[in-house]
Amino acid sequence: MTDQWVSFSRRGAAELVHLKGEIDLANANDIGRAIVARTTGADAVLIDLTAVSFLDSAGVRLLDFIVGDLDDRRKPVRLVVGERGAARMTLQLCSFRDDLLATDLDRAAAELDR
Amino acid sequence: MSESGGPDVTQELRLPWDDDPEDLYEHAPCGYLTTLPDGTIVRVNETFLTWTGYARTDLIGHKRFRDLLTPGDQIYHETHYAPLLTMQGEVHEIALDVVRADRSRVPTLVNSVLERSATGTPRIIRTMVFNATERRGYERELLSARRAAESSEQRVRVLQQIVADLAAAPTEAEVAEAVIRAPEPAFQATSSSIFLVDPERDELIAVSSTDPTTGNWDDMPRSSTRAVAEVARRGDLHVIATVAEAEAHFPDLAESMRRSERKTVVLLPLTTGPADDHGAASVLGVLAFSFREERVLTDGELRVIRLLGQQAGQALDRARLYDEGRRREDRSSFLARTTRALDEQHRLLQRARRLVERVVPEIADWALVRLQVGPAGLVEYHGGPAPDPELLDARVAEAVETCAPVYADDGDGLGCTVLPLTVRGRVIGTLALRMAPDRRGAGADRLFLVDLADRAALALENARLYEQERAIARTLQRSLLAADVPGADSRFALETHYQAAAQDLEVGGDWYDAFLITANKLAVVVGDVVGRGIDAATTMGQLRSAIRALATAENGPARLLEGLDRFCERVESARMATVVYAEIDLVGNELAYATAGHLPLLLHEPAGSPQYLMRARSAPLGSRAGDRRRVEDRIRLTGGSRLLLYTDGLIERRGRGLDRGFEILAREFSRMRDAPLKGLTAGLADILVGRDHSDDVCMLCVSLGTDERLERSIGADPVQISLLRADMRGWMAGHGVDPDCLNAVLLACSEAVANAIEHGYQDDPFGMVDVSATISADAVEIRVSDHGTWRGPGADLARGRGLQLIYESMDDVSFDQDQGTTVTMRRHRNAP
Repeated sequence: MTDQWVSFSRRGAAELVHLKGEIDLANANDIGRAIVARTTGADAVLIDLTAVSFLDSAGVRLLDFIVGDLDDRRKPVRLVVGERGAARMTLQLCSFRDDLLATDLDRAAAELDR
Repeated sequence: MSESGGPDVTQELRLPWDDDPEDLYEHAPCGYLTTLPDGTIVRVNETFLTWTGYARTDLIGHKRFRDLLTPGDQIYHETHYAPLLTMQGEVHEIALDVVRADRSRVPTLVNSVLERSATGTPRIIRTMVFNATERRGYERELLSARRAAESSEQRVRVLQQIVADLAAAPTEAEVAEAVIRAPEPAFQATSSSIFLVDPERDELIAVSSTDPTTGNWDDMPRSSTRAVAEVARRGDLHVIATVAEAEAHFPDLAESMRRSERKTVVLLPLTTGPADDHGAASVLGVLAFSFREERVLTDGELRVIRLLGQQAGQALDRARLYDEGRRREDRSSFLARTTRALDEQHRLLQRARRLVERVVPEIADWALVRLQVGPAGLVEYHGGPAPDPELLDARVAEAVETCAPVYADDGDGLGCTVLPLTVRGRVIGTLALRMAPDRRGAGADRLFLVDLADRAALALENARLYEQERAIARTLQRSLLAADVPGADSRFALETHYQAAAQDLEVGGDWYDAFLITANKLAVVVGDVVGRGIDAATTMGQLRSAIRALATAENGPARLLEGLDRFCERVESARMATVVYAEIDLVGNELAYATAGHLPLLLHEPAGSPQYLMRARSAPLGSRAGDRRRVEDRIRLTGGSRLLLYTDGLIERRGRGLDRGFEILAREFSRMRDAPLKGLTAGLADILVGRDHSDDVCMLCVSLGTDERLERSIGADPVQISLLRADMRGWMAGHGVDPDCLNAVLLACSEAVANAIEHGYQDDPFGMVDVSATISADAVEIRVSDHGTWRGPGADLARGRGLQLIYESMDDVSFDQDQGTTVTMRRHRNAP
């Protein structure tokens, strides 16, 4: 059901979550459930938002929840966003921590593996 | 006689024997006895003494007559003879056995007369004894002859019944049941068993027994050394009269005779063919019956037994032919039904599914079809349990490699027959079947399975080809439909929709297209080619290209249709296609259109209700009977007009008149006037045809002239927000709004609408949110209004974040809560 917005793969030790398209109030809950089902128990998580064309506060809430959960378990997480674009704008407006955001997937993966 | 202690009556006796010559008395041809009333013998003649071997002195005065009788006859003497004699004075022809001195017996007939004195007291008994040895023998013969006749008659009755049963038994099993019931009533056998020859497997099958605990109850090869197999080979009746006899010839039989306490066994081959020539007769089975006592069978019984073997053999033969005929009929009927059932399904997967579901349970208890199609192949199975996958894989590989069936074998641990599915000498897959052992192996069954595989292969190959063609047609159609329609032009916006028929029909010939003829002239077209499938898809592609080639700045719609008529002269499949074609002058806002046998355009201008454009109509392309004078019409459009082109699938619906379809379309199109353009065509299709539609639906909607102002009204449904965003994104892009501003406005607008839905309409799913947007050279202004009751913006932390985002992304934000809530937001545009 959420396949059009979210897909998964592995990157080293990290569970890699690919998001794409518009994430808003209408689909954030379903996407959140799909992600949590995969990241519960993951040792590290990379969330690739570079293909996200819109992100609203419901999407922010979803990311906040996942990051919070991983922080509680002391597992590293990175959100990969483009240099520009809707996702970066929304996350910056919500003042997400700089250490969470990355612009380069490979570098972020390397950091997590360290 | 006084010394005997009895009353002394002799002195009073007149001596009667003095009257008869001594010799006659002594040597008469019968014995004479004279006894006293108590039976004491007082006189006996020589003949009696000779017959019995007694000396005169043994008897006279020492024995009573009854002392000479057998114990049984002594009782008879006391209960019948003596009372009768006393009452009647005489008895005649009483049969009594006299015991000789050597204890052997002489059967006799006895007459006695009681003489009384003048006072009536019994005085003497005279007894005449006839030797009845020969007469008794004769009687016995008579008796045994009668018994023989009776038992023969019973045997005949039993056999008559059996023969009648045999004649009525249509199957081998029923023949066997009838035969096995014969030996007990007919010959007083203790139990019987029947074995039938299975010529395909060269075995004798133990079919039935009245007492299966006797004997070795296993199937055996015909070459077995066991007695039953031996008799089946020899084809002649065997009577094993004693265990010792069995010991000498058939050790296995002797062993089972001892175990089941049988003394005599009869092994009767059931034969068909000439009765008197055992070599020419063929053995179809063996009937074995046995006796707990040693049993001697008479010649008559043996004759009847042989007859039973022949009758049963013939009945088996007939039943086999009958069985075979019926099996053949069943098989051909099964093949016909299966072929028909497969034909009902066009799609490959469904056809493969149908195949395994037909085969199980009718001929197999598990079936699996594998087809070599696509990268992963296709596998369908039914029934269970599944066999060992590794053994099966090996057998499948063998069948594919040898291109020949691999039949199940009892000892193979798999029990599966694998048939290659072959078409034009190429193996396209395999069909694996697991059948009960009695349903496999026979030659006829093998032919049947090969036939089944051939038919299945052909049906599956046809489905595969159909599937392939369908995929090609669909790919072709999709590629044509998906070709880029012009966008990001502030002067117009396009929305299209294609929906294939719900039923598994082939691809239809509906299509839409939109392209810019010149920088300022937009062409839109919707058409419908006759037919379905790859031909329709190809023709559609050709017509689409022809239209693009014929559309020039000078031609106009009527000339274009004339050009298409000429095109149909060369491309026959395009004939009778219908087309609606329109050109929109984006500078002068003028619409020029023409329809060739197609449904009319639907136009909705900002003011007023929608109207169907009924002018400029002419016959379908290349029509011979229709009016082919191509005409066109021109009308001026106002900014904000929407124009809908569609195919008949949208309004034609079973049980609904065409007029009604037009009416509903116009009403719904009007109702959705303020809905975002994105999703509008899909929404119309949902309302008008729903999910259960039997025809393809194709639509193109063009919205003209982007205003300085955008007005939208959406339902309180989160899904609607993304549709609104799409409209707004296109609208802002059309006005050249820079990406940062555009993204910020979209975010703020989405959050404001989400707030209205989540807070304003928390309790009202039917609420509407109105959005209006204006654009100027230096700013974008958005107003979002609802008519709901807010619970207060701070009630929810998350929505608090939404508000925060609105404040962060916009330059000015103000709330007005008067009969609902209105948020007005403004964002400055960056210099281009």
